[in-house]
Amino acid sequence: MDERTHKLMAMYLQGTYKGAAVVVDDLNAEIDIFDADSVKAKTLLERRLAESARPIIALSLHELTLENILYVKKPVKTAGLLFALNEAGAILSATKKPDNPLNVHAENTASRPSQDFSAKTESLLSTEKNQVEKQAINTDEQRKTSKHQTAMQFDEGKFNAYIGSVPGLDVNDPKQFPNATYDPKDYFQEYVQSALMAAETQKQAIHMNSGWKPLIILPHNHEIWLDADDKQLRAFASVSMNKISGAKITFTPVDSGLASMQDSLEKFHDKDAFLWKLAVWTSKGRYPSDLDIHRAVFLKHWPNFTRLVVTPQALRISALLMAGPRTLPDIAEVLKIKPQYVFVFISAAYALGLVEQAKREMDEVIQPSTIKKSEKQGLLSRITGKLRVNKS
Amino acid sequence: MSQYKIIFTGPVGAGKTTAIGSISDIPPIKTDASASDMTKSRKAETTVAMDYGILNLAGGEKIHLYGTPGQERFDFMWDILVTGGIGLILLLDNTRADPFQDMKFFLEAFNKFIVKTSVAIGVTQMDISTKPTIADYHLQLETLGIKPPVFAVDARVKNDVSMLVQSLLFSLDPGLEGNHESLCAEFGALYLSNTRRSLLRGLCYGY
Repeated sequence: MDERTHKLMAMYLQGTYKGAAVVVDDLNAEIDIFDADSVKAKTLLERRLAESARPIIALSLHELTLENILYVKKPVKTAGLLFALNEAGAILSATKKPDNPLNVHAENTASRPSQDFSAKTESLLSTEKNQVEKQAINTDEQRKTSKHQTAMQFDEGKFNAYIGSVPGLDVNDPKQFPNATYDPKDYFQEYVQSALMAAETQKQAIHMNSGWKPLIILPHNHEIWLDADDKQLRAFASVSMNKISGAKITFTPVDSGLASMQDSLEKFHDKDAFLWKLAVWTSKGRYPSDLDIHRAVFLKHWPNFTRLVVTPQALRISALLMAGPRTLPDIAEVLKIKPQYVFVFISAAYALGLVEQAKREMDEVIQPSTIKKSEKQGLLSRITGKLRVNKS
Repeated sequence: MSQYKIIFTGPVGAGKTTAIGSISDIPPIKTDASASDMTKSRKAETTVAMDYGILNLAGGEKIHLYGTPGQERFDFMWDILVTGGIGLILLLDNTRADPFQDMKFFLEAFNKFIVKTSVAIGVTQMDISTKPTIADYHLQLETLGIKPPVFAVDARVKNDVSMLVQSLLFSLDPGLEGNHESLCAEFGALYLSNTRRSLLRGLCYGY
């Protein structure tokens, strides 16, 4: 099955068949469902029969009489598939105590790499980790609205109110640049970043206990689940953790309770989009203290702007940095924009690991002071102006 | 008056027709027909010639939006379509068997045009198939030695398509000014008082 069919199967099983089976990944599956009409079906079926004792259900337009394979005729009808699932469940119960619902792997004959035996063995041993994965994967991606909504795009007017400011600090005054820094370590941002790193290193879902709202990191899907809305997060982002008495943050592996998250899919966030906006709110127009303002920075690649909070001038700053490394004041000067917009963009991109300080002196020597103007600059400006005005 | 155009390309079902419709000022002119070959497995109708939309700019200028037919047998048209183009929007369908292969194919096919102009890549259907991720696309592009913008895009959402096109234009010239003041500068209205700016903003943008 291709990915779309795979997804459809997941949704299908969440409808009429809810409770009977769920689609999980290969490592966690107890039953395989094959599209027997696909080009590679025969090869994959033979391989699966040789490698695994899992019950197999084959869907086909044609009558099949294959040994050890349960057959369901297409178009698939509820009764037929339920019967096959029950049969498969009976086979499973003969060999082990079944979980409920059954975990189904819908075979993707298009691009799935071959099964690694050692990985499979490991999965059988680490049952606790599997349980987390099973539950994390069993979600309806399209209902995770926060993950797939289009970007909020800010112009200069509304942005200051959105990010706030630091009392007594004018980040746009060059004389105050040395003070226009913040250390993420003092804020919630750093703790989230540490938890993300731990979860990704251990390949384990992690619950971050901060004494605030529950936050769970799901490294396999690059997701964060937070039981708070943006308004609450924005307020908490700017609070210095040093000022919270008794603030002690711990990370614990999650081995149960993930199922309850499925009831609030809107609280799932894409990891990068979450960290990006958290950094924007933490920065408040300042830049990270790790960066030397006198040394050039470079951008590894364009941020995925359609799914991020788009800060003022962010597209222009990205385009400029993709052309070559520059110092932060230089970016502001060349683009004729407020340093505040550069600082906040750099803070967010730095949190995602997209910005690094140029290490080589050469990078600074070769940076051009001006940018080459396009011959069609007037026309291109009119198009961008039009697109911005027309944004929905 | 010069004719300017932006080209939308990509495989069958990637959302070219929809994307043009999202930002066009006119109902897009579509040339869809019932699919009769392997395309049929992905969509009931497909573009057999090209799609067409328009962006109307202040002063009466028009930007023509062209969508190439997705099927390779129409690739003889691609060279004709790109002549005089400002840049290329490449849309990729993340649910296809090998979107990286699609990407390489289209980047190669339009290589000469991209070298002369620029390209921005939109990945569609990411809410159905979350992998490969955008980071995976960047890794693939690194091996090809280019670093274009790559965004997750819902072709039905104007803001997504608009941002992708803007990234293409800023790639061509980061010095472009796309903010309100610069737009009004087109009408000779820089450095004005707040009151006057508000008035002109109303005139320029209708709010």
